[in-house]
Amino acid sequence: MRDFILKRMIAVILAFIFVYGFYVILHGHISPGGSFAGGIIVSLSFIAFATVYGIDKGKEKLPEKFLVWVESYGTLWYGLMGLVGICKGAPFLANKLAGIDLGVPGTLSSGGLIGLIGFGVGIRVASTMITLFYTLMEGDA
Amino acid sequence: MMTSWTTHLPVFVVILPLFVGFILPTLARRLRLVENLVIAVEVISFVMAAALAVLLFKQNGSPIPYAMGGWPAPWGIRIIADNLGVLFLLVIAIVGLPIALYTKGNLREEVGGRSRTARFYALYLLLMGALAGMAVTNDLFNVFVLVEVATLSACGLVSAHRNPRAAEAAFNYLILATLGSGLVMGSIGFLYITTGHLNMEFAARELAQVWQHSPHVVWMAASFMLTGFGVKAAMFPLHVWLPDAHSMAPTPGSAVLSGLAVKGYLICLLKILYNVFGQTLMRHFTMHHVLTAAGIAAILAGSILALRQDELKRRLAYSTVAQVGYIILGFGFVNQRGLAGSLFYLASHALIKSTLFLTAGAIISATGKTKVSELAGVGRKMPLTMGAFTVASLGLVGIPLFSGFVGKWHLLLGSFESGNFAAAAVILAGSVFCAAYLFPILRNAYFQETPGENWQDPGMAQRAAFVLLSAAIIFFGILPTPLLTLAQRAAADLLFLQ
Repeated sequence: MRDFILKRMIAVILAFIFVYGFYVILHGHISPGGSFAGGIIVSLSFIAFATVYGIDKGKEKLPEKFLVWVESYGTLWYGLMGLVGICKGAPFLANKLAGIDLGVPGTLSSGGLIGLIGFGVGIRVASTMITLFYTLMEGDA
Repeated sequence: MMTSWTTHLPVFVVILPLFVGFILPTLARRLRLVENLVIAVEVISFVMAAALAVLLFKQNGSPIPYAMGGWPAPWGIRIIADNLGVLFLLVIAIVGLPIALYTKGNLREEVGGRSRTARFYALYLLLMGALAGMAVTNDLFNVFVLVEVATLSACGLVSAHRNPRAAEAAFNYLILATLGSGLVMGSIGFLYITTGHLNMEFAARELAQVWQHSPHVVWMAASFMLTGFGVKAAMFPLHVWLPDAHSMAPTPGSAVLSGLAVKGYLICLLKILYNVFGQTLMRHFTMHHVLTAAGIAAILAGSILALRQDELKRRLAYSTVAQVGYIILGFGFVNQRGLAGSLFYLASHALIKSTLFLTAGAIISATGKTKVSELAGVGRKMPLTMGAFTVASLGLVGIPLFSGFVGKWHLLLGSFESGNFAAAAVILAGSVFCAAYLFPILRNAYFQETPGENWQDPGMAQRAAFVLLSAAIIFFGILPTPLLTLAQRAAADLLFLQ
């Protein structure tokens, strides 16, 4: 696409979409949204970039190999967080029982491990969506 | 320290294959490592399943519960390793290890490039994790999630074959299986609306009290569940996707799909029918008659269709349709003998059908021939492979001293106990049909010659897989007691007998 206005607009908005995505991911436990919705928003910033600047440039910024790594280890991260409970002598995926300070309800730190788990899920969803987008674009060409 | 680790076994059995599966795509360049990791996971899963079985026998069959995150049911998710679950976990472990061994070093021939192969392994472990989850789950929504994970990875396994026809088969499978998932989801929705619970025990308790207020909704839920899982488990006449999908998949894929994946859905169906709806409602909706009728139809139709196939893998795939019929038939008897026979048959068919598919795959890749009529003389040139095939055939037909016999015997006892003599006749007729479509292959292989060809048994890992599987078939035929005790206790649990 050669549209100047579109390119400039995306260049400005991109960072905001990206940051908002992570905001939704990290506030998943105290506000509407969560890792899935947030991950989609994060992926949208890249999809917008790749649509406007071309898929090759998008792949330059975010190679598929990197996406595979994020997908794999983002999910593994979830499992590792679950194991924290077992290491502390509590059941799998335990949060408060594993002795984690849950802080003041309603604040960002009140989720304990949930925030960390959500981060893993969020980046995983984002990378999966981008992979899907790349695959569909390739199938089209 | 030891005790604390054993208490976590029910959850480790599920998460180990899942989490190792997730990292495999990143290791595509080191395929050796991937193969060894998968085998290691299968060995550890086997040890864990055996440990759970020992624990269960020590407690005389009282289930081992595990509350996820420490939250008690009905608020949290509680998984339970009961007799049924541990039986299926053992089956998964015993069948999974030889399949993983078989794949060592020869998967790329059928699948293609390194990253495709690594992805195949990732899907394989995901499927194993989902099946282990089905074994221990006690939550309706988790059933749906695990069913979806299993279905999607199974579609991936089918489409992994290099042959473009595999993609078509996988697409057909995907469409029908998604329809099945939709029905299961709808049914779970109805159950949740009616009872307000997703935990199976609580849902069952509530359902027993409230079902009379909305009998039609509950009836819908039951029939959706039956149809949904019927599509997934290839219950005749909903089996149309199975012959294509199971015969087009790469050999280890066929083995795991026919041997284990179909059984996972049957276990889920069994859990929901008996644990949530219960015998009373099943009889009220005459679902046991539907199950029996579907079983009889599947045995007859599946066997006759199998007789007509000349392609080896397709013949085996149609045979799976018939054998699923036996298992469904046992579900419909609603008595302890029939259910125990059905569960034992499920275990033995998992062993037998994976042996048949793996040996068939080895024969096809060694000879390059896919048709039954072209395989004259294989028996003398590939003695070990054909030996395992023979053991499995004898087991499937139900010759005494092979595991299939014990299952069929208890199914027969169950059919007499429920007074269903037509079913008993069909069980016997099924064995004759089974001999009719398997023994000609053996006769061809041993008593005829194809001169000039130099076919050989596959490598060490594959031979080890065949030996392990045939040994298991003979072992459970001669000493069925451990597995049969588990099956009988599981049947008693399902029928709430004490």
